[in-house]
Amino acid sequence: MPIYEALSDKLTVVLDVGSAYTKFGFSGEYAPRCIIRSEVRCKKTNTIRRIIDYENEKDLYDLLVDFVHVLYFKYALFSPKDKPIVVVESLLCPTLFRETLAKVLFEHYEISMLLMLPSHLVGLSTLGAETALVLDVGYFEAVAIPVCHGLPVIHAWQALPLGSQIIHNNLRALLNSDNTGINNLPESVIEDIKVRCCFVTKQKRAAQLSVAKPEITFAPEVKYPIGGSEIITVSGKVREKVYEILYDEDNDHLCLSTMLLDAITKVDIHLRNKLAENILLIGGTVMVPGFKARLKEELHKQLKHDRYKKLKISSFKFHTPPCKENYTAWLGGAIYGATELLSMKALTREKYFKENRLPDWPNMRDNFRTNN
Amino acid sequence: MAHVVGPEVVKYACTCGLLKSISSLYFCRYCCQLRCGFCVCHEVDSHFCGKCCENLPSSEARLKKNRCGNCYICPSCQQELSTRIGSKGPSNPEDPKSTPKKMYYLSCLYCRWSSRDVGIPDQSAATGGWPDRENVNANRLQEIIEMYKAMVLAEKQQKEKDKKKQRGKYLSYTDRTGVTAAALRKRIGLPVDIQHSLLKAKPKEPEPAIAKEDVEDLPEELLTKPVNLTEVTTIEQRLLQIDLQPTTVEKLFPVHKQLSIKRSLRCRSCEHNVSKPEYNPNSVKFKIQLFAYYHVPEIRIVTVEPLRAGRPSELIIKFTNPTQHQTTITILSLVLSGDESEVKEETGDQPSLPQEKQPPSLSSQPSSLLSLSSRQPSITIKPRPVSQEVNADVAIPSSKVILPPRDDAAEYDDSGDTHNIQDDPKLVVWRKSNKAFVKLLVTPKQGLALNSEIVAGFTMQHIYTNTIATTVENREPDKHDHNIRVFLTLGNLVGFD
Repeated sequence: MPIYEALSDKLTVVLDVGSAYTKFGFSGEYAPRCIIRSEVRCKKTNTIRRIIDYENEKDLYDLLVDFVHVLYFKYALFSPKDKPIVVVESLLCPTLFRETLAKVLFEHYEISMLLMLPSHLVGLSTLGAETALVLDVGYFEAVAIPVCHGLPVIHAWQALPLGSQIIHNNLRALLNSDNTGINNLPESVIEDIKVRCCFVTKQKRAAQLSVAKPEITFAPEVKYPIGGSEIITVSGKVREKVYEILYDEDNDHLCLSTMLLDAITKVDIHLRNKLAENILLIGGTVMVPGFKARLKEELHKQLKHDRYKKLKISSFKFHTPPCKENYTAWLGGAIYGATELLSMKALTREKYFKENRLPDWPNMRDNFRTNN
Repeated sequence: MAHVVGPEVVKYACTCGLLKSISSLYFCRYCCQLRCGFCVCHEVDSHFCGKCCENLPSSEARLKKNRCGNCYICPSCQQELSTRIGSKGPSNPEDPKSTPKKMYYLSCLYCRWSSRDVGIPDQSAATGGWPDRENVNANRLQEIIEMYKAMVLAEKQQKEKDKKKQRGKYLSYTDRTGVTAAALRKRIGLPVDIQHSLLKAKPKEPEPAIAKEDVEDLPEELLTKPVNLTEVTTIEQRLLQIDLQPTTVEKLFPVHKQLSIKRSLRCRSCEHNVSKPEYNPNSVKFKIQLFAYYHVPEIRIVTVEPLRAGRPSELIIKFTNPTQHQTTITILSLVLSGDESEVKEETGDQPSLPQEKQPPSLSSQPSSLLSLSSRQPSITIKPRPVSQEVNADVAIPSSKVILPPRDDAAEYDDSGDTHNIQDDPKLVVWRKSNKAFVKLLVTPKQGLALNSEIVAGFTMQHIYTNTIATTVENREPDKHDHNIRVFLTLGNLVGFD
């Protein structure tokens, strides 16, 4: 980056608050300054609490005040007052959360302007493409929204609670059945086991995992030390089986692969092939070894079913973003934040205090067409 | 000072409604109100490196991405790396008698990681020689950013051009007469339309990304090779280097140490600084230090009788006057709803726009503060009702307690206390220089469960002497009453009456 650009006073903060991790950095840069867990020490109970575990609006307000304080004064080293901020959020973000975040930023931290960007749309800007099917697999849920010619096709949204949360629960259950006495492992330990030991296996092997007498040899087991004294065994079967829950069809025959095909079905016929050949995967859970290969296999398997026969899709092509998948949405926000879009479309402080709410896509008041 | 780290037994209610112990509160002298960390405005004052203890100007800090240029952090345990002297080869390879050259390498004293583990060659310079890695995709991303910037700029200029076109009734003064600029240009022979500047030369757009059908397969070795947990990185280690996020330990490179900041705090209603630290990173003192501990009488619990429901128990508390002026303490009954400022109803009120608010001492602000014109006046935090429930009544005494000023030389002076203060012996049990023990009767309410925590509260009114620069005519510093709500956690209920 040329020196004079960096010295300008236009440093805009770009923030992506996820359910598990928060990405925080400045616009125009190629990676966030920090990726930290979305948890904060609550002043009342003096324990570390996750932001998503809020009880009511006031509790969320206090948690967000403390969390944003840590972000600005420990990691960004930057005063929030009278400066703009870009927030990248999911299109399905609960209204209470985004309104409280806006309230915290405007009333408590006195920012000057706020621009909220949808994560699926801006993730695409890292590729320089305009049409793609974006699948975001995070902690809480997996959301697929197709983006056509630069506009998210919201009516084709698909969401399932197939994120890291369900994988952690699955891992807990599997480990409990193998080892005794490890009922209450903290979340961070389970996450570490998942990241370091587990992976997504191939389709042929997956079919053998549930059979009583499997024909394959499992992966070698891992002895994982806990608490400095105990050692638990993560067997090879557990290592491969944890991620199978993503592809187990539930009662409505929905799983990760059907989600993508359903999203494609809801879009215009002309765009369906183009979307299938431009799939972008973002979110931390996607970084598991073997994820993309398995998703491709599962998609081809689902195509053989009757209900997807009408989709005349022959091949699926995946994009590789120029960054790691867990901060692709953040990077999109940073690219948008570096342009003049902030001064054109951001919500200013005066406007926020007049209306006292954020513009939102389900709200009919924001949905009329303007000619200017 | 054990009460700083011990349990918070005595809490004061700040003007914003939160309960804090006296060590966490600030006192704004201009508004004469208590403030706490929640209701003041925090600002970054200066940047410095914790290890090399030198200040960095904020522009340089921004340039270096808030990282110190010289200091590194171990990627394995996130502690500081120290530079050690390694093998010493001769500086001039041909001359074996020359002095051996010192080669440096980085090493962590805590987890024994060293830069040689990752394959970084030893450096000959002690500081500043270590290679910095750039993002692999930097060029591609730079192209994409430029493309989007140009696109948005074009859109913006188009919008402005459209606006201008709609505005003018007459495109030019000569329209009516027929001698327009366009007609004139046609007559001369120039092209009619002026070429739009943006259509002239568009910079080369980067190619959009191409999706590939082949995806990376599951690496076969995961299925066969046993996992060595010491070689796989944890999430914290990966997130230190965000653009790389290496999965194996061999790729963990040292990271520059993050800078620390010094924060200054500012009262939101009068815009004066409440706390401003010194610039020198080695110093822990403050330039402006308006802590409540130095302005507001401190209360400590001395003894409390075992509490029984319905029966009055004796409570002895100690008042300390930290100021240089005499003060009188009056104990009043507690009023839980915020009576210090006008609290609007919670439903349907909005924070007023900063322009409508009248800060009390705006006229007395020094002119240098007003000249920071780019700064908007702060929005005060809406006070919230105190969330602590009080389940014991305090018998309000009728007499007042006079506390003499703090005299730092008193402990060396053997002449004794000559203040001659007439005290109500039932109220003031003991007295020494600026401290006094006061006895109160506390009655826990009826109907409480055994072992429930008893919290008592009262309003302490003390006379605060304002020592801000007084005007020439009026030599007397003005005194006024200041009310503070105090909440005491007295212990558990022992029995019933």
